[in-house]
Amino acid sequence: MELKVSSIPSLPRVNSGLAQMLPIATTVLAALLAILPVRLPGYAALTPAFVLMAVYHWTIYRPDLLPPIGLFAVGLTQDLVAGTAVGAGALVLLLARAAVLRYRRAFIGRTFPFVWSGFALLAGVAMLGLWALHCLMQLSFFDFRTTMFRTVLTVAIFPVASFALGRTQRALMGATG
Amino acid sequence: MIRPSAPLRATIQRTTPPLLILLAAAIILLGKADQSMFDSLRASLTDNAAPALNALSRPLDAAATAVDRVRGVVTMYQDNLRLERENERLLQWQQVALKLSADNRELRGLLKAAPENAMSYVTTRVIANSGGGYVRTVMVNAGSDQGLARGQAAITGDGLIGRLTEIGSRSARVLLITDLNSRIPVVIQRTNANAILAGDNSERPRLLYANDPDAIKIGDRILTSGEGGVFPPGLPVGTVAALGSGGARVEPFVELSQLGYVLVVDYGLSGGLPQPAPVAARPGRRGKPAAPDEAGVR
Repeated sequence: MELKVSSIPSLPRVNSGLAQMLPIATTVLAALLAILPVRLPGYAALTPAFVLMAVYHWTIYRPDLLPPIGLFAVGLTQDLVAGTAVGAGALVLLLARAAVLRYRRAFIGRTFPFVWSGFALLAGVAMLGLWALHCLMQLSFFDFRTTMFRTVLTVAIFPVASFALGRTQRALMGATG
Repeated sequence: MIRPSAPLRATIQRTTPPLLILLAAAIILLGKADQSMFDSLRASLTDNAAPALNALSRPLDAAATAVDRVRGVVTMYQDNLRLERENERLLQWQQVALKLSADNRELRGLLKAAPENAMSYVTTRVIANSGGGYVRTVMVNAGSDQGLARGQAAITGDGLIGRLTEIGSRSARVLLITDLNSRIPVVIQRTNANAILAGDNSERPRLLYANDPDAIKIGDRILTSGEGGVFPPGLPVGTVAALGSGGARVEPFVELSQLGYVLVVDYGLSGGLPQPAPVAARPGRRGKPAAPDEAGVR
């Protein structure tokens, strides 16, 4: 497999420390949000992949502020705290970042439905990859319907996350961010 | 601080992502080869995340309580009627229980039966779950500081939910009975036949290796058997909800997606999980050798 990684473009400088921390902070928050015990029937298995939403958003708009090493740390920590296979989350997030970074130009300045469909594609591939990885590791066939519903829920919730992230980004980084 | 030159920075920037991807893949393989490798790191990170999760999960708790209250107000009248009837019935049962308890004590005295292990409970709150369908665990806000130890049973008022598999100083992980790796020796109450309750990440775990699988009927109550010393006998687990070629499916008594508070029970049993090997202290250097399972002794 060829791991071709695009270089990070130069983006407008962000002076405020708070704004610089925003991508990492929101990604960490998304990781915490994903393991909170929401008391809805079946929710635990279907929890939307919040971190993937943050990674998609920030890799398109501010890849310079979400360095791969930070993403690796967040992914690994999430794996460890959530009790899932160590490294699997980190791997999927890094691959997702690499994929989005390659095509990010195609998403800048486009309409929201276009950005949304890009996310749907990413979420589909990422969830399928995660499912295959876990099946391989446990040598057992996990119910694919759960993965499918989880993907649908993730894609359905993306507009809310995208709106919240976009608003926070504009508030802290201004129009240039 | 020395700043790397521009070409060097570009090289670092280009090579870091693929290196990290390879590192993540290597970590997956290492973790698979030796599953205990990341245990201490997991426990310490979980301990550090516990206060944040504790704080973040409180509003969810409050929301769940508020919903319950509203529902309670709506159904108050019906609930009251139902509870009155139930109370009447339970008062009769209380008399039966008191009589049986007295009989039991007397007969035990005659038989000189060994007294059962004393139980102690720690009440904990669920502060996180595993998020995603690949593991079924919950994290609770108590750990070895509160006397929790590996292998202890986690229950609610309705029945068994799982056992403790990882212990930090102020957080612990409960492996739910529905998890793929959960295997619990159980007994079918009606036939007294032994079986293993095996989780497969679905909502209803399966009954495997039953003594007489054809005798299992829908509605049979499943209790822990106490075999293997993992759990004490007689903890309620669930009822048989479906029969099929892959084994009977058991509906747990506890609604596992609605867990709020969980009781961790110490029956003074070994727990069935191997304790991490204690680090042998050298005499004269570190005082007394570390006692295994010191936290669990109260």
